[in-house]
Amino acid sequence: METRVSQPNPAPIRPGQWIAKHAVSLYPLLVILALAALFTLQNPYFATFDNVMNIGRQSSVLLLVALAGTMVIMIGSIDLSVGSIVTLSGIVAALTIDAAGPVAAVAAGIGAGLLVGLVNGMTLITLKVPSFLVTLGMLSILSGVANMICGGSSIMFMDLSLTDLVNAEYIPGIPTIILVALAAAALLAFVAFNTVLGRYLFAIGGGEVVAANSGVPVNRYKVYAFMLSGALCGLAGVLLTAQVGAGTPAAGANMLLDSIAAIVMGGTALSGGIGGPQRTILGVLVIAILSNGMDVTEVSSFTQEVIKGLVIILAVASTIDRKKYAFIK
Amino acid sequence: MNTMVPALELRGVTKQYGPVTALYRVNLSLERHGVLGLVGENGAGKSTLISVINGTVRPTEGDLFVGGARVSLGSPADAARAGIATVFQEQGLIANLRVFENMLLGREAGFAKVGILGKQAMTRLAADVLDELGITVDPLAVTGSLAFGERQLVEIAKAFALGRIYPVEPVILLDEPTSALSDAETQILFNSIRRWRGKASIILVSHRLSDVFAVCDRVAALKDGAINGTWPVSEATPDLLHEAIVGRVRSAGYYKESEQRQDFGNVVLEARDLVVPGQLDKVSLSVRAGEIVGVAGVLGSGKTTLGHAIAGALAVKAGDIFVNGKRLRPGSLASALAADIGNVPAERNIAGVIGMHSVEWNLTLPSLRSFRFGRWPILSSRRQGQVTDDWIKRLRVRTPGRAIQIRNLSGGNAQKVVFAKWLARGIKLFVLDDPGRGLDVGAKEEIYALLRKLAREGVAIVLISDNLPEIIGLSNRIVTLRSGRVSAEIAAPAHDKPAETAVVTHMV
Repeated sequence: METRVSQPNPAPIRPGQWIAKHAVSLYPLLVILALAALFTLQNPYFATFDNVMNIGRQSSVLLLVALAGTMVIMIGSIDLSVGSIVTLSGIVAALTIDAAGPVAAVAAGIGAGLLVGLVNGMTLITLKVPSFLVTLGMLSILSGVANMICGGSSIMFMDLSLTDLVNAEYIPGIPTIILVALAAAALLAFVAFNTVLGRYLFAIGGGEVVAANSGVPVNRYKVYAFMLSGALCGLAGVLLTAQVGAGTPAAGANMLLDSIAAIVMGGTALSGGIGGPQRTILGVLVIAILSNGMDVTEVSSFTQEVIKGLVIILAVASTIDRKKYAFIK
Repeated sequence: MNTMVPALELRGVTKQYGPVTALYRVNLSLERHGVLGLVGENGAGKSTLISVINGTVRPTEGDLFVGGARVSLGSPADAARAGIATVFQEQGLIANLRVFENMLLGREAGFAKVGILGKQAMTRLAADVLDELGITVDPLAVTGSLAFGERQLVEIAKAFALGRIYPVEPVILLDEPTSALSDAETQILFNSIRRWRGKASIILVSHRLSDVFAVCDRVAALKDGAINGTWPVSEATPDLLHEAIVGRVRSAGYYKESEQRQDFGNVVLEARDLVVPGQLDKVSLSVRAGEIVGVAGVLGSGKTTLGHAIAGALAVKAGDIFVNGKRLRPGSLASALAADIGNVPAERNIAGVIGMHSVEWNLTLPSLRSFRFGRWPILSSRRQGQVTDDWIKRLRVRTPGRAIQIRNLSGGNAQKVVFAKWLARGIKLFVLDDPGRGLDVGAKEEIYALLRKLAREGVAIVLISDNLPEIIGLSNRIVTLRSGRVSAEIAAPAHDKPAETAVVTHMV
């Protein structure tokens, strides 16, 4: 049976709308370009290939950690234990590499992260404690464990095969660690939009009740998100240990806040459901460029912290789409 | 005051949002002590009109007069001082305040003695208003502890409380007040409106024509932002209004009774002695393939709980649910889905669609796994797009495209996507909770036609609804619930539909 209902035509798309629609993705790019221009004017060395590779080397581990956090923030939860997993996995890798070789060290580091993620996720769904508190507790536990293992000092190792690998330039000029981080980012961006896993994570973050009603095994996928986060942090820890040549009890200490700032700046809402790994790459770039740029323009480290804080607030204030938030809290 | 002067008058009100005209030269007059019904489809401009009257939206052109005096536009404070009070569709009460505090929120100044609130005087006034309205709610109760319907009544009482405070006769705007009320609560509301007839002037915005016929004395139809006619209710008929609202003649048989099936297939759903403490007491229900079984009951009768239990959203304490002979795990949505049960929840925006996601993502969610390349975990974006476009076309979902965030769609079109997401997966049993909630007549009619089509294709349907004409019109059989028990089973064949009163008798 045909029914016709008169309907006002949808408004035509104005040229400004495309920009407005993509503003959330465009702002971080603008911030990046503005910062790059500013630092280059101050010190032309900033824009050299060598320095760009420096930025990449310095931010590869942060990118992996921020990607890890993104997978959890996508479901509307948060993983505060990311930095402490980096530390733990780094130490585990440092402890195993001489005895069991580089492959086992990588596996042990990632495995440790995966295990912590599993515990985080299971605690969340069985005890029904908010992820904020579960992972805050885990952060404290892992920091304690790391210090107990290390006894306050770093763990050195003799086998430098991993160290050589992460710094090797199979593509001339580009160290492996950058390739690994970028590959992980590309893979996760693909997973987020083109696999059942990614779409379920978005659905849980967008509306848990709707997801459950639509047959998404919500609890299982929440655990997956935390396991993914743990494994990525484990990889980050192994790479960091290889890069520095030692496992240290404070390796991941500064990464938590930087990674969350990068995620939100990139455009993934803390309430979940929108954004994704591809956005996080831009957020990490902002932080990395800022740190490196202030180093090469010789800003004192205390001033750096102040400026970084200001830029984060300003960047987030200009990028978040307030219409997507019911409350700012 | 001269009774000839209208309580409220709009002259030439036009509102433009950029290139979109929401209201076009609206002239509307509300007689003193009159009850004016305002009807129209979603998007016809009803909400904009209400917002212009209560001052929250400033029109591009036009004038507003209250009691013959011009009221400045775009000022909620001026509108309130002129006695205009609005009861919104979405509730504006603060859950953790007590009822009397909510009723007098923002009006506390009149009760302050040396800066201290005279709570007794406030409570007394609130109790008095509630009493006069025949609403049995304790003014000291915490608002959040009340049922949805009770909160709505409190909100209406809040508007009436205004009339006690300002020395003006209130003009009360009721925006879809009955859409979430049970029939008993609707009756209380209508009785109050009748009782207050000599003390206030009222505009009632509603989707339900039955509301208009029950309490209004005039009715105005809004279509595409313009008034499409005004009639005394005594001269209006449902068909006349229907045509004025949608701009076409109402098709014979709104509920498509002629398409109702007479013969059914195998038993699909067999629920036996379901028990949920305090809500369901040994409820049994069976539905055959192609059959539509209506579940009727007042608020708290257990009808919503029954729907949740069948759909797997809630675990029963005792009893069994079989679908095509297979027993479901109680409280397991996964088990319900494995048995091909689809659900259309009453609260669409909380449980039905993810507003921030696209039409495509919403539509493909239950069937996501079927878009994998064989056993690979990768999804085919091409097939997802094709399937989405196909269902948009088949159900005539009006959307600029499949990538549009679903919150930008009207209620009727979003509801079609909820249906489509199950149809794309393929289901044998559909549990519908108030599928017409918040939809305009045109959208409802399309949903009803769709239900008939699904029944014809052999889907078993459980229809839970507060809307009696809908249940009676659509169902093959009606099961009434009262205090968690089945109180009657009423046959409703196409040629011999039971009267509303025959159903209500078993509900109260």
